Amino acid sequence: MKKIKIIFSSLVFTASLLMSTIAQADNIKIGVSFRMLSDVGYKHGMLIEDTVKMWNSQGGINGKKIDLTLYNDECKSEKGVANATKLAYQDKVHVIIGSSCSSVTLPMVPVITKAGVPQIIPHSTSSKITMTGSEYIFRVPVSSRFYKIVQGKFTAEQQGKKIAYIYVPDQASMVFAKEMMKYMKDEYGVDPVYQVQAGEKETDFRSFLMKAKAANPDVIVLSGLVDETVRMLVQSYEVGIPKSVHRVANSVASKVEVPTNAGKAAVGVVYSAAFAASDTRPIAKKFVKMVKSKYGVTPGHDFSQMQDLLDMLKPALEQVNFTGNLAADRNAVRDSIAGIRNFTGLASGPISFCAAGSPECRDGNKTPVMIKYTRGGKNWKTAVAGTVTFKPSDGL
Amino acid sequence: MEKFKEIIRQYPFLGFIIAFFILMAIPSIFFTDLYQSHLSSLIFINIIVAAGLNIVKGYCGQVTVGHVGLYAVGSYTAGCMFMYLGASLWITLPVAILVTGLFGVAFAIPSFRLEGPYLALATLGGGEAIRLFIENGEFFGSTYGISSISQPELFGITFDTPDKYYYISMPIMLIAIYFSFSVLRSSIGRAFMAVREDPISAAASGINVKKHKMLAFILSAMFAGAAGAVYAHLPPGYIHPNNYTVIEMVTFLAMVVFGGLGHIWGGIIGAVIITIVYDLTRPLYEYQLFIFGLTIVLTILFMPKGIGGFIDKYFIDRRFKKKQAVADK
Repeated sequence: MKKIKIIFSSLVFTASLLMSTIAQADNIKIGVSFRMLSDVGYKHGMLIEDTVKMWNSQGGINGKKIDLTLYNDECKSEKGVANATKLAYQDKVHVIIGSSCSSVTLPMVPVITKAGVPQIIPHSTSSKITMTGSEYIFRVPVSSRFYKIVQGKFTAEQQGKKIAYIYVPDQASMVFAKEMMKYMKDEYGVDPVYQVQAGEKETDFRSFLMKAKAANPDVIVLSGLVDETVRMLVQSYEVGIPKSVHRVANSVASKVEVPTNAGKAAVGVVYSAAFAASDTRPIAKKFVKMVKSKYGVTPGHDFSQMQDLLDMLKPALEQVNFTGNLAADRNAVRDSIAGIRNFTGLASGPISFCAAGSPECRDGNKTPVMIKYTRGGKNWKTAVAGTVTFKPSDGL
Repeated sequence: MEKFKEIIRQYPFLGFIIAFFILMAIPSIFFTDLYQSHLSSLIFINIIVAAGLNIVKGYCGQVTVGHVGLYAVGSYTAGCMFMYLGASLWITLPVAILVTGLFGVAFAIPSFRLEGPYLALATLGGGEAIRLFIENGEFFGSTYGISSISQPELFGITFDTPDKYYYISMPIMLIAIYFSFSVLRSSIGRAFMAVREDPISAAASGINVKKHKMLAFILSAMFAGAAGAVYAHLPPGYIHPNNYTVIEMVTFLAMVVFGGLGHIWGGIIGAVIITIVYDLTRPLYEYQLFIFGLTIVLTILFMPKGIGGFIDKYFIDRRFKKKQAVADK
């Protein structure tokens, strides 16, 4: 009797598994590999989950439900590669969203290219990613090759050419500082008056800042992650660097923690990003209000880029006629995303892709915006200092 | 069956040949997708590191928390040899083992004077120093990492996909385990255990404590170096300093503790279970670290000898019952 029970329950279990597999086979599958470590990271994940839930409650995409698989890559390349492999071969997703960190997205590219899965990047800015030439990669944020030009040009022409650089050994921070140094040298023949790479998770930057101060710069570039940027800004006033010395930060400065935690020290900081919360367009105002009420934070450009990505992806998926042949469906999704032209959302400029797997085609947003903090603290405010739209081949 | 067991006991190498053929057949019988091969390769790499860690920590009783730094040395030796010389795994693997062995000497020196938490701190510092040195050195690719490290070729086959690479990582893992078994079952292994239990008594019995501590560190470093090199060439061939942090070290330690410190199979069992559990809990990312922390705490509280301890207890009990049954008759 016991044996019959075991056999029967095994059969029921297998049948239910089979049924759910058959039911899921008809669904559209989206995979996400993302850095979900901090509070804001979790909130980005929640934004994706909430948006997909909303799509499903509205009847899905052309009547098909969407299955979302969300993995944390902890901003580690090993985990990112494992996630990409799992999403591509085991979860058999149609499209991958991710990752936040350039050092994770870069090794994911060969994996997704071999598997033939389209991948859309929400945050990684390193120009190296699209230079791999993969036909399956699409970038929503502004590439570092555009950031360096807009920041370099603005700094040299509006703020001064005697520049001191302090950066931390994180890829995005380092790329920003080094590319800007190179740009200033190539375009204006200017060498840094002082440059230093601080240690990882450094908390006291005062010795570097004192040396930078001694070099008497017009501009001080403080390129770090959120905590380091906040500390560098606050400590720059502690060591007596006057307000007249312009403070420049990388796009990390767009994150809400920077003006909130740096307080008054954030005032006057200039950075380039893809979205400003002070944007007066109705779409931006509505978005800022929604994020504030739902997630309790003022959105920086990471939030807006994720929202833009999802808003672009939905119509792209709607245009695909899913056949059930995974490889063909993935290629159809890729072609549909590649067909996006002049998408106007929250980002600073229209986002366009095209068919070739070149950086010209796959760096979607070519319009960085220069932003300046006019008030720090909890009720921080920004002002747009300028916007430039680049040609697709600029900065290559 | 008893005869078979006797043959394996006499010629343990045969057991590994059988294991090799079984593991060769597993992908074609059980694997349904490429990810399983990728995961298997990660398990094999973790087994190599854990087996090495078990030598120095489980057998020789030296508290090391910097092993991940040695793993990084192996990876970056392979990565740099590829980047600057275009060398393949067949060259980078032995060189990485040798170079990491030399680093093992540096890690062993503090163990002559330090013990317990002091040695743990010294090795932790060593491991972190290596990672920071790599991260800040342009020669090592700095925070850009090293990408597109080539996959090995053999008989005209390029092992450039996870399913093919399985056949590279698996034999290397088997060789590493065989080597670890041979060492631990020899007089050297027994000397390690003597040093672990009481260094003074060991010295009084004629064991050169310093020499054996040094040997344990070198051997375990060589394992970490081999694992590092195999990891560097794992498709897509990308290494980054972020993958060699204290968190990875804790994971390696969890493998050895969970599997059973000082148990010959300990590191292997722990590596298999922890890697699979980690993978299964991937979607539960909010609770993943909590689950891991809880697992380590519960293991130490209720299962201080790990799963290996349970296995030992089972066999000892069985042998005891058998002997008792014979005596009762």
